[in-house]
Amino acid sequence: MARKKSADFEPLRELVRHHIESFDYMLDEGLSEMFDHCRQAKISYTGKLMADVEFQYLDAGSPVVRERFNFGQFPVMLKTRRCHLQGADSQKLVSLKEEAAEMGGYFILNGLERVFRSVILPKQNYPMSMVRSSFRDRREGYTDKAVVIRCVRKDQSSVTLKLYYLLNGSARLGFWLQGKEYLLPLGIVLKLEHAAGANNLTRKALVDTNDLEIFNHLTCCYEEKYKKEKGAVGSPLVSERVKIILAEVQDLSLTTRLQCLQHIGEHFQPVIDGLQSESYYAVAETVIRDYIFVHLNDNNDKFNLLMKLTAFLMLDLRLISFFSFMLQKLFSLVDHTSVSDNPDSLQNQEILLPGHLITIYLKEKLEDWLRKGKKLIQDEIENNGKKFDFFNCIIVDYANAVANIKKVMEKNPSKQIGTSIETMLKTGRLATQTGLDLQQRAGYTVQAERLNFLRFISFFRAVHRGASFAGLRTTSVRKLLPESWGFLCPVHTPDGEPCGLLNHMTSTCRVASYYDSRGNIRDFSKMRTSILRVLIGVGMIPSLPKLVKSGPPAVLSVLLDGRVVGVIPSSEIEKVVAHLRRLKVSAASVIPDDLEVGYVPLSLGGAYPGLYLFTSPPKFVRPVRNISLPSEESQNIELIGPFEQVFMEIRCPDGGDGGRRNAFPATHEEIHPTGMLSVVANLTPYSDHNQSPRNMYQCQMAKQTMGFSVQALKFRADQKLYHLQCVLGFVLHLLCCNEYALGPSQTPQTPIVRTNTYTKYGIDEYPTGTNAIVAVLAYTGYDMEDAMILNKSSVDRGMCHGQIYQTETIDLSDDGNKVDRGQKLFRRNKDAKSLHSVIDSDGLPYVGQMIHPGEPYCSIYDKTTNSWRTNSRKGSESVFVDYVAVDMKNSKNLPQKANIRFRHTRNPIIGDKFSSRHGQKGVCSQLWPDIDMPFSGVTGMRPDLIINPHAFPSRMTIAMLLESVAAKGGSLHGKFMDATPFANSVKKTNGDTGTDESKSLVDELGEMLRTCGFNYHGVEVLYSGVYGTELTCEIFIGPVYYQRLRHMVSDKFQVRSTGTMDQITRQPIKGRKRGGGIRFGEMERDSLLAHGAAYLLHDRLHTCSDYHVADVCSLCGSVLTATFIHPQKRAIREIGGLPPARAPKKVTCHACQTSKGMETVAMPYVFRYLAAELAAMNIKITLQLGDGATA
Amino acid sequence: MDGASYQRFPKVKIRELKDDYAKFELRDTDASMANALRRVMIAEVPTIAIDLVEIEVNSSVLNDEFIAHRLGLIPLTSERAMSMRFSRDCDACDGDGQCEFCSVEFHLRAKCHSDQTLDVTSKDLYSSDHSVVPVDFVDPAGYDSTDQQRGIIIVKLRRGQELRLRAIARKGIGKDHAKWSPAATVTFMYEPEIHINEDLMESLSLEEKQSWVESSPTKVFDIDPNTGQVYVVDAEAYTYDDEVIKKAEAMGKPGLVEIYAKEDSFIFTVESTGAIKASQLVLNAIEVLKQKLDAVRLSEDTVEADDQFGELGAHMRGG
Repeated sequence: MARKKSADFEPLRELVRHHIESFDYMLDEGLSEMFDHCRQAKISYTGKLMADVEFQYLDAGSPVVRERFNFGQFPVMLKTRRCHLQGADSQKLVSLKEEAAEMGGYFILNGLERVFRSVILPKQNYPMSMVRSSFRDRREGYTDKAVVIRCVRKDQSSVTLKLYYLLNGSARLGFWLQGKEYLLPLGIVLKLEHAAGANNLTRKALVDTNDLEIFNHLTCCYEEKYKKEKGAVGSPLVSERVKIILAEVQDLSLTTRLQCLQHIGEHFQPVIDGLQSESYYAVAETVIRDYIFVHLNDNNDKFNLLMKLTAFLMLDLRLISFFSFMLQKLFSLVDHTSVSDNPDSLQNQEILLPGHLITIYLKEKLEDWLRKGKKLIQDEIENNGKKFDFFNCIIVDYANAVANIKKVMEKNPSKQIGTSIETMLKTGRLATQTGLDLQQRAGYTVQAERLNFLRFISFFRAVHRGASFAGLRTTSVRKLLPESWGFLCPVHTPDGEPCGLLNHMTSTCRVASYYDSRGNIRDFSKMRTSILRVLIGVGMIPSLPKLVKSGPPAVLSVLLDGRVVGVIPSSEIEKVVAHLRRLKVSAASVIPDDLEVGYVPLSLGGAYPGLYLFTSPPKFVRPVRNISLPSEESQNIELIGPFEQVFMEIRCPDGGDGGRRNAFPATHEEIHPTGMLSVVANLTPYSDHNQSPRNMYQCQMAKQTMGFSVQALKFRADQKLYHLQCVLGFVLHLLCCNEYALGPSQTPQTPIVRTNTYTKYGIDEYPTGTNAIVAVLAYTGYDMEDAMILNKSSVDRGMCHGQIYQTETIDLSDDGNKVDRGQKLFRRNKDAKSLHSVIDSDGLPYVGQMIHPGEPYCSIYDKTTNSWRTNSRKGSESVFVDYVAVDMKNSKNLPQKANIRFRHTRNPIIGDKFSSRHGQKGVCSQLWPDIDMPFSGVTGMRPDLIINPHAFPSRMTIAMLLESVAAKGGSLHGKFMDATPFANSVKKTNGDTGTDESKSLVDELGEMLRTCGFNYHGVEVLYSGVYGTELTCEIFIGPVYYQRLRHMVSDKFQVRSTGTMDQITRQPIKGRKRGGGIRFGEMERDSLLAHGAAYLLHDRLHTCSDYHVADVCSLCGSVLTATFIHPQKRAIREIGGLPPARAPKKVTCHACQTSKGMETVAMPYVFRYLAAELAAMNIKITLQLGDGATA
Repeated sequence: MDGASYQRFPKVKIRELKDDYAKFELRDTDASMANALRRVMIAEVPTIAIDLVEIEVNSSVLNDEFIAHRLGLIPLTSERAMSMRFSRDCDACDGDGQCEFCSVEFHLRAKCHSDQTLDVTSKDLYSSDHSVVPVDFVDPAGYDSTDQQRGIIIVKLRRGQELRLRAIARKGIGKDHAKWSPAATVTFMYEPEIHINEDLMESLSLEEKQSWVESSPTKVFDIDPNTGQVYVVDAEAYTYDDEVIKKAEAMGKPGLVEIYAKEDSFIFTVESTGAIKASQLVLNAIEVLKQKLDAVRLSEDTVEADDQFGELGAHMRGG
């Protein structure tokens, strides 16, 4: 049984694959504690990061000192290569006290499960033309147009470059360096590159020919004959602009390459760390290498083998061809021959994955560390001169040298690096100066709440648009764009604040990784070479060694991962694209199956044309069927990306053409329409029959349901906060018998009506609701306004019963200072006999014990002060002690840390929230007696739940009605019903059964009921439970899967009559936890005023609040000057044996020195406080007293 | 009590009687009587159910209150229930509910020693009173009734897990908690009276008749294969769903059939949980109903009635 099931988890694991693979990648480029233990002990799951560091004196041929450094504890993602759980099957996982369906993909930090929140990034290595008004504010003379490219190195670190267009026709290249944007005249850069190229080619610096060559390159896109033709992107102005660009450089009197280098070096030498002492030339080289088009700078590239040219020259040529491409795109944007790219569209976006972020973060931290280390050693050499003769030392005494270096490097603690990564994951905050070319610094990780399984799984599928957009007033970023079709779910986004920013990947969407389908790491340079070979084979004219001087529409540039590799005649291009796609699908070819073939065709003023190929990893891909290929061998499943999708013809598998004319025949077909929905959205039955916002609500509510959140519940203690759990029914027996059969569960149950996604992802392991018999009628009035009536007997029998597990961690070493650490123990006071019934002799509670509010649950003895202390339960609920665990690890004999898990039992009560799977939520308004419920005369059935018919007309949740009918039919026939949405869109292709095609869904379901003697429409005649008479209309009744939401009154109700008062104002305090009241505010006051409810108003605002009787002096009108005079004890009276009557309070006015004018006045205490406060500011409040008549 | 007497003498005709199932006709009375009987059967006929559980050892996967709840829902044979006392009214034990007059004690001890999971069922509950034991469901159909599979499963134990508890069962009524309800289902229907307009019916063709007959989801009418006449097969199969009437109207023949519910005859279906026999359930219900009526009659003017009918006083005040 278990073996069979284990295979079923695979689709689930698929869902988090991108997280895991990215982390694997990080590990490959770059342990021993149990997870259960981590969660329990609230520590982090980490492994040691060791690295070899080489020290080399900056001298040719000097020997190398190698030393191993420990970079501290490094957090490890679960189920990755370095994780113990990697490759473990379900049975092993269970024996390790993990979930059988454990998917990993998260970190355990301080006992909390944290998951990386994936963020959208601009697509790497794709020059995007943008129009943004903020570009104008850069400096005087800038326009709002620019071409932006995010250049990404092989290790996923990136630099964003912007090519601005200036009003005078020139262009500037901008990039960010240490929090500042630097703007270089384009001419300089161009000249720099070109001159270098020319230098190497001709071995002499011929300025004029260089300028001419540049001119030719940049103007090649415009040709007279194509003037206004389709796809022509150039304009006659191009040559003028290029002249301006070149003239600018002339004006700076920079004519040669060396001069340009000098110019750049001069500017950047003081800016870049660690290069202050280098020559201008070297600085300039570094700037170009590290900040300008870093993606072109790839030493491992095998191009040179092909072209037999030096790598350096190659780079320059690539740079120049790239610049000319970008410039052409910029000019075409300016001339309106192409439109700008939309940065908010998924077409121009990719995703940031945990492993990649950690890689670049780690890289930066290591660089910092190395730089620091270098400085330390340099200082040491300078200071100690002879003693630290590095060079000689190594030759003479290797061991000694190592020791020396070790000593020096001790000042540069290496373990911090592991800690900094852990802190980053713990807080989600990047502590970096450079910003790593990312838009946000915080919010990269979130806690993975295991409220229920759907919520948990959604954390791994979530993609955030970026924290910076959350505050934005514009809503354009939140818009659902057609480009995201099939990649991001249109339904699964929260409504409200993060709407449209927090999206979820569809169930079919994946992220391309560094691993191929066989799990081997990919060699991208090899891949590129083979792609290049294929391209040249099909007629591409390579841009190397000679630049091609022609542009669209005659030829289209080919960009491979941001490099301009050549041009293809536009007449050939369609064939080339088709050929590439064929190779992609075929298993034998070297072309990767997730190569993105972004062919932007020629158009009139559309997107800038070209063939953009992308191999690099963190991009979205999804499978579609390629139908242009003969389909004998395989399914022809092709992985496509969002960039290419826009220009592809993909049809729905319903057999229609979707309005497509013959001119655009479909080349691809969707595999199933449900592929456009996320996992959670896919679980809504018949969601294609619902009004769309209802499906959105359901996605949200599915994530708030109390469900079966974890199976390894017994071994979990990581819940710091309230953990909700609905555990009723026999499903639990799988815990004890370790067999994953689904028993006859009571609640939670498996839904009768389910989609095929439900079975695919094995949601049965984590059910979230109950099949309740729902009658739709207005019965008692208690079902008004989305309230619902529960059958009390059903509740008695355990329907929707829930439990909350809450873990309290008591760490004795945590509180107090270091001195009395280890001085505290869990121990019971022998003398306090009353404690013995609740607390065991070890100072901890008995398991299974019920603890009432205010009762102690653990007892602590402090050795130093010889005092006892008990921790007591707060709140107003009795709880059970579910589990007690002590951590013996960090103490000699006596436990210092204890986890006590409490169990709150929660039966449904009035005010608890429930919902169906169609965004129909409601609050329980009554637990109605079974006998008063309407009953069916035929079956005797009474509903579990009554909802009001008004819930339907405006919300149009037809699927809920369908579910009811389908579930009724299904339960009568004893089978589960398939409610996969869009089922009728695929029927035709699946099988030519023919006959049942004509049948509508309603007919199918209605017929099922009919055959069992029930009404076709799902209605039944019911009789009043109170009178026994027939209800005047037929009632729609049937089983609907209901979820219990986690919002419960017991956690929310707030009530008080008397209680704690605020010290200063003497008004009731606020806050539910402290037993405070609810503010009767200004608007509430207004409404009472409007009603003229004066007494009520007085009661609320005065009597129940800060009623106070003050002594006021009517002479001076002061509230504050009253002083009490303590009457002298009258001895006589006491002697006389009379009862000691309360002496009348004598009050005098301190200011007037008399008690004559003293009166008592009732007033709010705050008024008196105000008077006191004002008095402190030298302002006197005077009251004029009078009785009602005179006033 | 002068004037005409409205007293009627309801008749009961039993159609079918099994241990846990009864079907009978109730005639010459009205809906209020019928419904009162139904309500009492569901909610006010007393039974015995486990109400208090003291758990000694529980190392099973289910938590204590969960097991307690499951124990409570096990039906216990409750023939004694009518003569037992409610523990709240018990003089012998002063209301703490532990004496023989108002309670029955159960013990359960189970520990799994083998590698096979052990099913702890209602069979493992040992009663202190042999007349109050968990209901034994001997499946009459005979399927799935292997020897060890009998009884209601309480919990499953794995090797080393143990369950040891003491439970006290008390008398109660379904109004207080559904576990005390002796009735699985009690329902009644009005006896239908069906009149087919034969003249109109004869104006239909055979196909039309066929489609009309089939318009009812339940088998109420049929066509005589010989005469081609429509006749009522089973009037009680009619669910008052008006399908045939709607069909007749749709066919342009309103008044083809007239169906009335007889206001004074009811057909009851009673299914028992097994706690008491279905027949006994009906009798007990009538008994309780009588007691309640007595209480109403007596409490009219006497406060003492409350004392006299202590138990029923509680009923009167709403349990």
